[in-house]
Amino acid sequence: MVDNGKELSYRLVPSTCVYCGTGCGVLLEVMDGRVTGTLPQKDHPVSWGALCVKGWAVHEFVHSERRLTAPLVRSGGELKETDWDTALAAVAEGLSRVAKEHGPDAVGFFASARCTNEENYLLQKLARAVVGTNNVDHCARL
Amino acid sequence: MSDLKDLVREKLKDGVDAFLCLKDEEGTLLPALITDADSPELELVEAGGARYPMGKILIDLLREYPGKRFAVLVRGCDERALVELSKLEQVDLDRLVMVGLACTAEEARACGCTRPYPSEIALGEKAEAAPGRETIEEVEALSEAERLRWWKEQFSRCIKCYGCRNVCPMCFCKDCALENPHLVEPGVIPPEFPSFHVIRALDMTGRCVDCGLCEEACPADIPLRSLYRKMQEIMEEKLGYRAGESPDEKSPLSFLGSEQDIEKLEREQ
Amino acid sequence: MAEESATRNEDDIRILAFLCNWCSYAGADLAGVSRLQYPAKVLDVRVMCTGTISPYFVIKAFQEGMDGVLIAGCHIGDCHYLKGNYMTAKRFQVLREALKFLGIEEGRLRLEWVSAAEGEKYAEVIRSFTEEIEKLGPSPLRRKRAEVGA
Repeated sequence: MVDNGKELSYRLVPSTCVYCGTGCGVLLEVMDGRVTGTLPQKDHPVSWGALCVKGWAVHEFVHSERRLTAPLVRSGGELKETDWDTALAAVAEGLSRVAKEHGPDAVGFFASARCTNEENYLLQKLARAVVGTNNVDHCARL
Repeated sequence: MSDLKDLVREKLKDGVDAFLCLKDEEGTLLPALITDADSPELELVEAGGARYPMGKILIDLLREYPGKRFAVLVRGCDERALVELSKLEQVDLDRLVMVGLACTAEEARACGCTRPYPSEIALGEKAEAAPGRETIEEVEALSEAERLRWWKEQFSRCIKCYGCRNVCPMCFCKDCALENPHLVEPGVIPPEFPSFHVIRALDMTGRCVDCGLCEEACPADIPLRSLYRKMQEIMEEKLGYRAGESPDEKSPLSFLGSEQDIEKLEREQ
Repeated sequence: MAEESATRNEDDIRILAFLCNWCSYAGADLAGVSRLQYPAKVLDVRVMCTGTISPYFVIKAFQEGMDGVLIAGCHIGDCHYLKGNYMTAKRFQVLREALKFLGIEEGRLRLEWVSAAEGEKYAEVIRSFTEEIEKLGPSPLRRKRAEVGA
């Protein structure tokens, strides 16, 4: 076969599955600078070479066209791309306004399985200490 | 292992473009593609410790880099997989140099495959193993109704992670029957018997090289390997074929054959 | 069909027959026009060649609640496509053994060669297969009929 001139570029990058808090070990296949596949990490102390259906597909969102890569803020009924400062200012303004008008319990906080323990801790701290509500829930509380 | 390091260097100097083997990266064993004979990565190469689907990785590499030649460290199972994959037109053996690694006696015993060494051994000592038939014998000792109950119970643990298929070096189809909603109902966990697992077992017939990676990847400890191994026994007994063994002989399920073969088959039935 | 579906009940057995267009379907037709009597518990599926029958179809048939599956095609050497039934013969061997290992009675799957001239053989195959399946009873893989809508 004819050489297409491509420089050989293939490596496996050990990582942790981001889909839930279990923390299974994955190896991401990186070929020509693109993440092309997932293998389970055989000697990982959490998962010992097994993954669930989401873990096996963990590489798929990386280059997805539908992936959000910048914050979107709705203005005039339409989502528009913006920078993080503007987006966070919009969130702070919206939450403060609702809490002021309707009381802190009108606000709820939804933590994520895809964040670290520490990030989730901070989110509930923000809810209880800053906003003043116990309305904290989690996407994995089934 | 210093021997492996020398082999990698030698092959790279001999003109292969890259060597696929394992390396120890800060305590994690993972497949690595070494492209440079002077690379510091050479110090990290490892022969044993974990098994990865090398055949699967090579299908992608050979396709992505059509002008390149690769060397690969193969155990008996890896070699069988590559031989069978070449018959299925998935790898080009002309662009592949296999460097054989024999499994240690301990590995061979723990894994229990049919042939724990490749046809040519460059590293390690050949150890014989007795193929593990305990589960097959246990199932065969049961009555039909008990057997069905036994298998249903095994498969009822399936979480449908598709790991058995994903890790399998012999699974390369773009359209997989296991994702066909007419055959396997989407969203149903565990998958209904017999659809998912029996379809996979049938597709493994004359193809499975008994590497056991499926069972290692299964989070539910389903005895997949015994099921696929039994399918190979059936294949060998009925159609006289064992996957991955002789490079020039194709699976009888991949071509029509001659009238004499069929008449013989019918007579023996 | 001689029997009305209204009289069918849960325990009635149901057989799916894959018949090849060139031989066995014509054989079944001959049995029909010859007014040969045989049990009406068989649903026919006409295929162009038995070689087109994927083992998946058989698995699917059992999954959907069939109690027996018959595959009937041209005799070896008489295939309209010359060698299509060779594949059937090979696949059948493997499939039947696989079912046996999984605990599905091997008698629930049958392969027969029936030519276009063998109306009597077709009727006899259906008679004996129906008898065998009735002896085995409803398939353990059968879902509730209501669920399948059969």
